[in-house]
Amino acid sequence: MLENLGEDKSIYIQISEMIEDEILRDILKEEEKVPSTTELSKFYKINPATAAKGINLLVDRDILYKKRGIGMFVQDGAKERIRESRRNSFYETYVKKIIGEAELIGISKEELKKMIDTEK
Amino acid sequence: MSKLVGKSIVKNYGKDKVLKNIDIEIETGKIYGLIGRNGVGKTTLLSILTAQNPATSGEVTLDGEPVWENEKCLDRMCYSRELSPVTIFGTNNIKVKEYLRTAKAFYKNWDQEYAEELIKLFNINKKKAVGKLSKGQLSAITIIIALASKAEITILDEPVAGLDVVAREQFYKLIIEEYAETGRTFIISTHIIEEAASLFEKVIILEDGQVAIEENTEDLLARAYRISGQDTIVDEATKDYKVFHPEVLGHNKVVTVLADEPVSNFDCRVQVEPVSLQNLFFAMCSEERKEA
Repeated sequence: MLENLGEDKSIYIQISEMIEDEILRDILKEEEKVPSTTELSKFYKINPATAAKGINLLVDRDILYKKRGIGMFVQDGAKERIRESRRNSFYETYVKKIIGEAELIGISKEELKKMIDTEK
Repeated sequence: MSKLVGKSIVKNYGKDKVLKNIDIEIETGKIYGLIGRNGVGKTTLLSILTAQNPATSGEVTLDGEPVWENEKCLDRMCYSRELSPVTIFGTNNIKVKEYLRTAKAFYKNWDQEYAEELIKLFNINKKKAVGKLSKGQLSAITIIIALASKAEITILDEPVAGLDVVAREQFYKLIIEEYAETGRTFIISTHIIEEAASLFEKVIILEDGQVAIEENTEDLLARAYRISGQDTIVDEATKDYKVFHPEVLGHNKVVTVLADEPVSNFDCRVQVEPVSLQNLFFAMCSEERKEA
């Protein structure tokens, strides 16, 4: 989660995606505590309201939950929920881009499929 | 929640109209960024908000009470101004120590322990005369006074101007720590927008003596776009929006768009990218220059 923040997306979305990535990679496990908004805002030098917005996005999607007075924790089943939502956007985010680029430089669909098949 | 409100503020210096009818509302518990070009009136506005400078017309109130010569209101605010290394009598010979003692007497919530901690952090020699300090050290003193004042509404006018990159990072961190802990209101003016943009919950952009923008930073950036592509397609795709700073390279064109609300359906033949606060500000100002 220590990557630099970029300018290509809203900061709060980047915060929420970083936490998601950590959960996907098992760096943050289910029922484990995630960094607080204060810790996040200090580390990234961002307004605590922005960090909170990123965290709340994940609370709304049942990825994180709040333990009163203790902090934010990874919800049971969070990893599977993230995987599912990323699977749903996989075509839009990745496949479309690859097909577009392949068309532009004259790689046929068959060649593209072959590349995928031979990739180990 | 308290509110610091400036209503119809006009400020003329002789024939020079600096502030033309400014309406501004500062809600407490937020970090504000104040940006604008050199000479646009940022310092004038901040000094009027804290009653250090009378407005030609208009009124400033805190929770409905006029702040002018109102001790109760002024006790809640700190406007830590840039220290001057020279006075009309020559070099400023006041020692840092004495300067801090004055601040301690002046601000009723002054936190001496915090001040000492900050002096150590910024490596300031208290026995030195103000006139002998470097530009960065002068900036550090204004920051120390602002933070240690513990004032409910704290205003910092270009606090990082003389600071090196390490000290600037320290400053941003201190502000966040203090804000996270106390929820104090900070109004920070700066020209180093890129570094500070993500600190600001709300941003105020002054342009031509008026408030051009007063908005939540995220909301503002969510309706700003950099649109590029083939010139005719870009023109067509952006014709319904407010467009700033067009640039052309061959058949390509790039513009900055500020829509009234977020747009999700730009023509798919143009490239749509987000805009940073600094680039949005730059585009808006470039536009103004072109019209003039």
